[in-house]
Amino acid sequence: MGNFFSLVLNENMKIYRRVRTWVMLGILVVMNVLIPLLFSMVDAGGKTSLWDSVVLSSSFTFFLCTIFSVIIAADSVAGEFSWGTIKLLLIRPWSRSKILLSKYVSVVLFSLLCTVLLAVVSILVSGILFPSTADSSLFPAGKTGMAFALEYLLCDYVNLFMTCAIAFMLSTVFRAGGLAIGLSLFIMFTKGIFTTLFNPERYAWAKYLIFTHMDLTNHLQDKTGPGGITLGFSLAVLAVYYIVFLAVSWYVFKKRDVAA
Amino acid sequence: MQHEPVVRLEGVTKRVSSKTLVENVTLDIPPGQVFGFLGPNGAGKTTTIRMMVGLTSISQGDIKICGSSIKEHFEEAVSHVGAIVENPEMYKFLTGYQNLRHFARMMSGITEARIEEVVRLVGLSNRIHDKVKTYSLGMRQRLGVAQAILHRPKLLILDEPTNGLDPQGIRELRDYLRHLCHEEGTTVFVSSHLLSEMELMCDSVAIIQNGRLIDVRSLKEIREEGQSAAVETGFVVDDPEQALSILEGGTRSNGLITLKLTRDETAEMNARLVRAGIKVYGIHTVTRSLEEQFLEMTGGDPIG
Repeated sequence: MGNFFSLVLNENMKIYRRVRTWVMLGILVVMNVLIPLLFSMVDAGGKTSLWDSVVLSSSFTFFLCTIFSVIIAADSVAGEFSWGTIKLLLIRPWSRSKILLSKYVSVVLFSLLCTVLLAVVSILVSGILFPSTADSSLFPAGKTGMAFALEYLLCDYVNLFMTCAIAFMLSTVFRAGGLAIGLSLFIMFTKGIFTTLFNPERYAWAKYLIFTHMDLTNHLQDKTGPGGITLGFSLAVLAVYYIVFLAVSWYVFKKRDVAA
Repeated sequence: MQHEPVVRLEGVTKRVSSKTLVENVTLDIPPGQVFGFLGPNGAGKTTTIRMMVGLTSISQGDIKICGSSIKEHFEEAVSHVGAIVENPEMYKFLTGYQNLRHFARMMSGITEARIEEVVRLVGLSNRIHDKVKTYSLGMRQRLGVAQAILHRPKLLILDEPTNGLDPQGIRELRDYLRHLCHEEGTTVFVSSHLLSEMELMCDSVAIIQNGRLIDVRSLKEIREEGQSAAVETGFVVDDPEQALSILEGGTRSNGLITLKLTRDETAEMNARLVRAGIKVYGIHTVTRSLEEQFLEMTGGDPIG
């Protein structure tokens, strides 16, 4: 019955045919130009290198990247319900699983697009403004600036990826985009507080909280984080949470009675 | 196999917590008909339709479309169906054409030419490349029909299709459904609480009330029944006093005398009145419309 690729194409059409999406991508580009520009204005003595600029600016702009991806993820399923188009979507010869998968794939593609766009613009603009590629003291010894910056972006992406999975799940469960956006951004901004309150140094069980593991950038500085957490352990915990989030989304979406 | 029903509802029941919305409905929908699904608001029409297209789970029983169970073989069963459930909601930020492309991609074998053809059929050619948010309700309804028939379904399900349409739109839709049914052999299943509408549109009707199926009849049958049965007939005469002595058992109100008569009896009574020298200005038969029969059958019960 047709091919799965056309479902993803449909979902992409619904994302990129909206003005909103292009406004978000535009803001992302502008911010990634502006922030390195601001750094270059306050940079005393030209000590900042290209990769310093990339890491610093992305630590700001990645918030935007996450927020925009969350908006798309939150709207993916909830939007269909609020528009009423879910009724037309689910009466096609496609199983609900495949429809949900096509939505999830399109969300992940959008988040990748945002991240790649952020990285490319940030590196280009930083490259023009800060010609020096010298390794700075900001980065741990033994790593080149480029390796560190790319690893940093990768960690940020993992964070975004998990936040999107949460937003996607909430969107599917509550069918309300606003709630999904609000709650997942709440988690994004408060996870630091949670980690401080429930420090794995003090409470052994805090090692299994998702908040402790979403920000992997700690592992770039030290091999082991608080409470003796290794990178492998963090990834394993995240993987378990991820599977649970998706399983909940799938279960709810498959079982739901679509009524007015 | 020609008369194999397109849809079989086998003891379909829908329960939500302790409430039973649809109870043990068994119904065969024969092919090549416009089949009406009639019932007051809240009778379970939309719930039944939602179960037929797999939007809602079936608590008990099964629904088979062209022989495939919607429970067991959803993808196969639903591929024979085109539907509008309630309002024709579309992606407002897309154009009509993009909406159709969207749904065309979800089904195999729909060519650009077919999309063009459908657009022409529903008369949207001039506006198809405009955003749906600029469409009127009537145009959205047309676009809804267009997406439902793109893949030439064997069964077209329309839930309250005339809601919000003007008389012109209703008429066009009616003609169009008749065309689809008779020219292309599509079975059309229409729900409505507009009885007069059903009378004009359908070949048969199933009547549902409080989640139970109370009757399935062909409209031809209903009409014939109406002709042989005694109906309320009114005579307008110049001398009601005298007329009343001829029209035994009639009731008088002003110049009008009414009583129950069959068609033949009416002619006979008229002849007698004329012979007696009474001037008959008019004879009205108060025809029992489907509406009255319907109200009679459902007993005007409140929604329970």
